[in-house]
Amino acid sequence: MREYTVWSAVAVLVVVALEALWLRTGLFGKAQYWIAMAIVFAFQCLVDGWLTKLSAPIVLYAQDHMLGVRAPWDIPVEDFAFGFAMVTLALLVWEARRDQPE
Amino acid sequence: MADRYQYLVLMAACVLITLPLEFVLRARIYRRPRRYLVALLPVVVVFSIWDVVAIAREHWWYSPAYTTGVILPAGLPLEELVFFVVIPTCGLLTYEAVGTVLGWVRGWRGRARQAPDRQGRARQARPRHGGAP
Repeated sequence: MREYTVWSAVAVLVVVALEALWLRTGLFGKAQYWIAMAIVFAFQCLVDGWLTKLSAPIVLYAQDHMLGVRAPWDIPVEDFAFGFAMVTLALLVWEARRDQPE
Repeated sequence: MADRYQYLVLMAACVLITLPLEFVLRARIYRRPRRYLVALLPVVVVFSIWDVVAIAREHWWYSPAYTTGVILPAGLPLEELVFFVVIPTCGLLTYEAVGTVLGWVRGWRGRARQAPDRQGRARQARPRHGGAP
């Protein structure tokens, strides 16, 4: 089974469900969130592109646990689901704690 | 030899590049430490566990040439813990910086909307004072 593909897709679903069923911060309805995620995506291409470049990789992946789709450069497509889930989780908890003491 | 620090240097670059967001664009993430740590904790825990399991199941591994080789308990490379702190931090800084900029844009738009009002009021006032020519 392509476990990285499955796990990264599940991570996105879990984070979306966390907002829809529990936290309900309204994050996904904010232009602020989507603009920020577009900027994060652009910088992920640079940083992740460096980490995963096949000419001198810092992170190496097992071919049989991923789709094998790599773009831009050599970034596994699963990394974008991973990054989306990771950053969104932080933003959701950050938003959920809007009223807490600083 | 310095190549062993490549991953860590990349993470340091991410911290430095996003630092102006905290001060110039008033993200105020580092200056709200309690809320910042609460936001960070679930990400660091969940993604560290994912990483440890993925390494154990050989989904991915790290080049010994570009990492320090420092392995934390449970088999988590030092660089990965740093990654799970740095990248969400960059995300938080970006989010709040965008919020600041959107606030400025709304402020400009608000003033732009008020400006025709003032002209409108002035136009109405003119006949009252001087009378129409």
